[in-house]
Parts: sequence; C-alpha cells; structure tokens
Amino acid sequence: MSVIKDALGHAITKLTTANKKFYIYCLVLLIIAVLGLGGAITAVAEGHYHSDMSDMVPWGILISGLAFFIGLSAGATMIGLLIHGFGRDDYHPVGTRAILVGIMCIFAAMGCVMMDVGNPFRAMKIPFLLRNETSMFFISSSSYMGFTLILIAELVSTIYVTIGKAEKRGKRIAKILGIIAVPYALIVVHSFTGTIFGVVKAREMWNTPLLPVHFVTSALASGFALVILVTIITSWVNKKDLVSRETYNHMGIMLCFFLIATVFLDTFDYLILSYSGTAEGLETWDIFTGRYLPTFLINMVGLYAAVILTALKKFRTPRGLFYSSVIVIIAIAAYRINLITIAQLVPLYHELGEIQYIPTMHEVAPVFGLIAALMLLFAILTKVLPMEDEVHTTGH
Amino acid sequence: MSTFDRRQMIKLAAAAGAGVLLPRKVQASAGLFEGIVEKISQGIKGTIGKEVETPLPIPGARFGMVIDLGLCIGCRRCSYGCKLENNVPDAINPPYIMVLETRYRPGQVIDEDMPVGGHHNGNGLLYTKLRKDRMYMPVQCNHCADPPCAKVCPTKATFKSPDGIVMMDYNKCIGCRYCMAACPYNARRFNWRKPELDPERINPLVPVRTDGVVEKCTFCVHRTRRGRTTRCVEVCPNRARTFGNLNDPNSAVSKLIVSERSFRLKVGLNTGPQIYYLTRPKEKPMRWFKPVPISPDVRGLKK
Repeated sequence: MSVIKDALGHAITKLTTANKKFYIYCLVLLIIAVLGLGGAITAVAEGHYHSDMSDMVPWGILISGLAFFIGLSAGATMIGLLIHGFGRDDYHPVGTRAILVGIMCIFAAMGCVMMDVGNPFRAMKIPFLLRNETSMFFISSSSYMGFTLILIAELVSTIYVTIGKAEKRGKRIAKILGIIAVPYALIVVHSFTGTIFGVVKAREMWNTPLLPVHFVTSALASGFALVILVTIITSWVNKKDLVSRETYNHMGIMLCFFLIATVFLDTFDYLILSYSGTAEGLETWDIFTGRYLPTFLINMVGLYAAVILTALKKFRTPRGLFYSSVIVIIAIAAYRINLITIAQLVPLYHELGEIQYIPTMHEVAPVFGLIAALMLLFAILTKVLPMEDEVHTTGH
Repeated sequence: MSTFDRRQMIKLAAAAGAGVLLPRKVQASAGLFEGIVEKISQGIKGTIGKEVETPLPIPGARFGMVIDLGLCIGCRRCSYGCKLENNVPDAINPPYIMVLETRYRPGQVIDEDMPVGGHHNGNGLLYTKLRKDRMYMPVQCNHCADPPCAKVCPTKATFKSPDGIVMMDYNKCIGCRYCMAACPYNARRFNWRKPELDPERINPLVPVRTDGVVEKCTFCVHRTRRGRTTRCVEVCPNRARTFGNLNDPNSAVSKLIVSERSFRLKVGLNTGPQIYYLTRPKEKPMRWFKPVPISPDVRGLKK
C-alpha cells in the first residue's frame, strides 16, 4: 500500500510542477480528443451514415486504423526483446516508453474497432458471452485482450525493476514478459490480424497465405519506427540524448532490416498482382495504379526512400532517423489503406461499375481524436511514471 | 441608425439566435443521449424482433431457388416485393435483390416489342419497353452450403440453419460487417442509419431491425417454413423464379437444376451456392407470359 501511496504522491507532484509548455501541449491534445471523439459518439448514437462506407465498401478507414495500430503495438515490443533477449542494455532508457507505446497502440486499435462496429456495447460481450471460434475476428480480438494484459504486466514489472523494488524473481518476471511479448505480438496478435483479411476468398487482394507474413514485417518496421520517433522526440524535448549515437546507429540498422523484408514482400506482391490471371486481380491493379495512385506511390516510394536513408550510415543520426521513421509510418499507413480499404473498391460484380470511397470528416476525426487522447495519456504517463533515464540521472 | 440602436439590434439578434440554437443543441444532445442509452439497452438485452415468432426449420428440407435468365425481364418487381415483404427500409439501397443489367451478347434472342413490368405507379404496373440490347440478372444471397459469412461472424449472429437458409440473429450482431466483407455475392446490407418504416406497411411476421446491424435475404423464412413460397417468386410477372426443396427429387427446382442451361455463381470459391441460374437459350426467343394479376395482398403494390 505504501508503494501505491508513494507513487500517487510522486505522480501528483510531477503533474503539478510541470512546466507551462506541458500544460499547453496537454490542452491542445484534449481539445482535439474531445472534438474527434464527439464524432464517434454521434456515430454510435445515430449510426454510421455520415461515413462514406457503403454496402459495397463495408470497411473504411477505421479498420485500416485497426491493422495499422496493431502493427505499431506489435513492433514496439521489439525493444523488450532486444533488452532482455539479446542483452542490449543500451536500449534500457527506451524500455518503459516502448511498452507504453505498445499499450497506447493496442488501445488505439481496439478503439478503432469499437468506433467502427454498429453496437460497441454488444461487442464487449466478446469473447465471454458471444463467440465463434472459426472467426478470425473473434480470435484476433480475444488475442488483443491477452496482449494488453501481457503489456500491462510487463509495464508493472519493468517499473518495479526501474525503481529498484524488484528482487531476483521480479527481474526474471520482467525478462520473461519482455521476451514472450514479441512472439505473442507477432505470431498470435498480428498474424491473426492479417488472417482476418487472408481468409476472405471473396477478395482477390486479401486471399493469400502471405498476408500474415506481410503484416508481421510491416508491423516490425512501423512499430520500431514509432519507438525511434518517440526516443528522438523525447531527447529533443528533454534536451538530452536518451540513447547513445551508437544505439541510434543500431536502431537504424534494425529498421533497415525490417524495411527490406517489407519492401521485398510489397514489391513482389504488386508485381505478381500486375500479372494476375483474374479480372479482379487486374482490376485491383488498375485501381491501385489509376484512381488511387497517390496512396500507392506514398506506400512504395516512401518505403524505398526509407530503405535508402536507413542503409546509409550518415543518415543514421537522430535527425536522419526522425525523417526515416516519419516516412516509414506514413508509408505503412498508406499500405494499410491500400490493402484494406482501396482493395474493396473492386466490384464483386462487374456490372456494378466503379465504386468510390473517400473517408469523410466523420470517419477521420474520431481517428485523430483517438490518437490525441492516447498521446495525452502517454504524455501524462511518461510524466508520472518512473522512466529509466530519469531514475538513473537523479539516482532515485 | 444610432449606436444604441445597433447594439440593441445585435442583442436582439443574439437573443433570437440563442433562442433558436440553444434548444436545438439541447435537443441534439438529448437525442445523442437517447441514442446511446438505446444502444446500451440493445447491447445488453437484445430486444430486436422478440415479439416475432420465427417458424422452426422443416425437417429434411433444403431450400433452393432457380432463376431463369431467359425469362427475367429486369422489371425489379422481385426486388420491390422483397423490400416490402421483409420490412426493408428505404435507407437500405440497393435492396436485398439487385438486378444487374448487362449488354446483350450474340446468341441471345429478345423480342423487342415485349412490354416490361416496372415499379408501380400508384394505380397499377408501369410498363416500359424492354431494351433488346440488354439482359438482366437478379443477384441476392445464395444461401451457400458452406457460407463464408457464417464462418467469419465473430458472434454466430449469422448461421446456417438445417433447411439450408442462412439466417441472422439480429440480437447477436455487433455490426462489425466482417460478413459483408467476406460475402462474394455482395448480398448483405448494413443499417447505416436508423430505419424509418411506415407503421401501416410493417409486416408483423418479420422483425424490424435497428441501426448498426446487418441484414439479408432469409428466403422469406416466415413464409417458406409455413409452406408458402418466397415473395420474389410470387411477384415475378414472368415466372422466372422457382423456389423449392432441393432434397425432393420431384420438386420443380430439382428438375430444373439438372438442365444443361443450369449454372451457379462463383462456384470456384467452393461456397456451394443454393441459387441456380438457367442461361438464356440460344435457339429459342425469350418466352413471354402475361404478367400475373397482382393479388390484393401484395404488400404495398395495392393502392
């Protein structure tokens, strides 16, 4: 009890003694969150008719958001594996932040689903009161709960280790959780998220056994890029490098490796699609390279540019990695939109003609509101929770 | 105008604006609040169609349908009749049955003087000229033997019943629309907004759905399990549709599906569609029956 009391007292002191910029930052995020989430409340109360989704395009930007955020959360767990599995202690200052990034992203993913479904209150009955074991949606959503629990347990144990309250057993628990989070995230969580789409034989672009692999590589790249971004921004805000230049260099090499795997799969996926033997395949290719060319270009050009940037040592600096990470995150967001939403624009009957989808403000605003709300929570948590770098500096 | 007057006017305008806008905002907030409370209640209790009794499946039956493309004239009465029969709101568009229009292909013979039944004009059927360069193909739920929609539904809201009908339990549907993404036939419809139905036109045998749930063709389960045929079959003026028990070798559908002209949609996907189509015969001109008289109980078509 005394630990909790101390922690609460510490948190309140930290929040009340924060500087003005922090309050302004939080206020701006709060305003965006309230405005954005207002749209989500309207959708729950009145239905999704404000969106551009239709019976032809049943999954819009929010389901793309689900896949994107799940990927980010899965990739962010890599830091735990590097620290505990590969003994890279130089990543230690990023440890807690990476876990928090993972938790925020899984919240964002589940938030996207909840804002997208027709009855979120009924959806909460999954997996206990409503279930269908053959549904990948059921398996995935159940795995998200398990993943959230693992991440929260990992966070708590890491905090105990950071503040020096963990004994040998506690440290071992933190290590085990750090290691198992990665295979769980990649094999269970993200592969099954890819399988949600992979099992749909009605859609040419989705129905491939390579989709889960594709999801895993892109998750590693985007999640790792997000952690790099958080590390760099934290360093800039604190005016003190969180990790050494050597670690930044290593981060760049890791990101490059994940990107090469992603680009390899993306390139050959599209190449084979362009030679498709089916009318649907060719039509998908036409849509990607025709009406929705900008999204396709952002995806492919972005990934290739990021590979080149991270492959060159002179760009593996904080600034260079900042740009590379931003490009990677945007490129993989474009990939998710391309794969999930734009791929649905191929009509299931040729006679239905051209199908359009452009997300409306009612779809986009809740996503930004959700991101703002979770950025706010992340800012508060990183302020009040003991971070490795602060504890080591101040000697708490 | 003096400054005083201008100020007074601004004040008046502000008061009037507040008078108009504030109640609306309050109303809107109350509407939102009601909507959320309603959703929570539906989520917990599941009250859709509780007052409607769905008949049990007929033992040994496996329902199927045959649509003769040589007879379909694209009048869309099947679509319209289905919509009225099944309490499908106007907001659901396209309705359960979509009639695809394709270009005429060589070998297909159509009599250009044939009249075509269209939607009603208040007093009876509105006839239009059949376009000889077009052919028509109604598509709807195929009630697959191995339905992908039922496999992917996370809550078993969609299920395959023993008589072959792919059914919906609206009180289990969370509105995730996975079934819609997985259906190769584009047969499912989502209630994007709260359905508005004329209370006088509501069929008491069919549950009225709410926003946020998916719905689809049920082969008129409230009729077919009581020994009647589907509404689309009943209202077709050219008898292009035949409904029946595929397990009965003497049924009309069982006799038709063995025809050389018989085919099913997207069989390569191995979903086992239970709707069969008959291609238009090359050698014969398209047959034409006089439109069947509209029975007075055809919902909504009587006026």
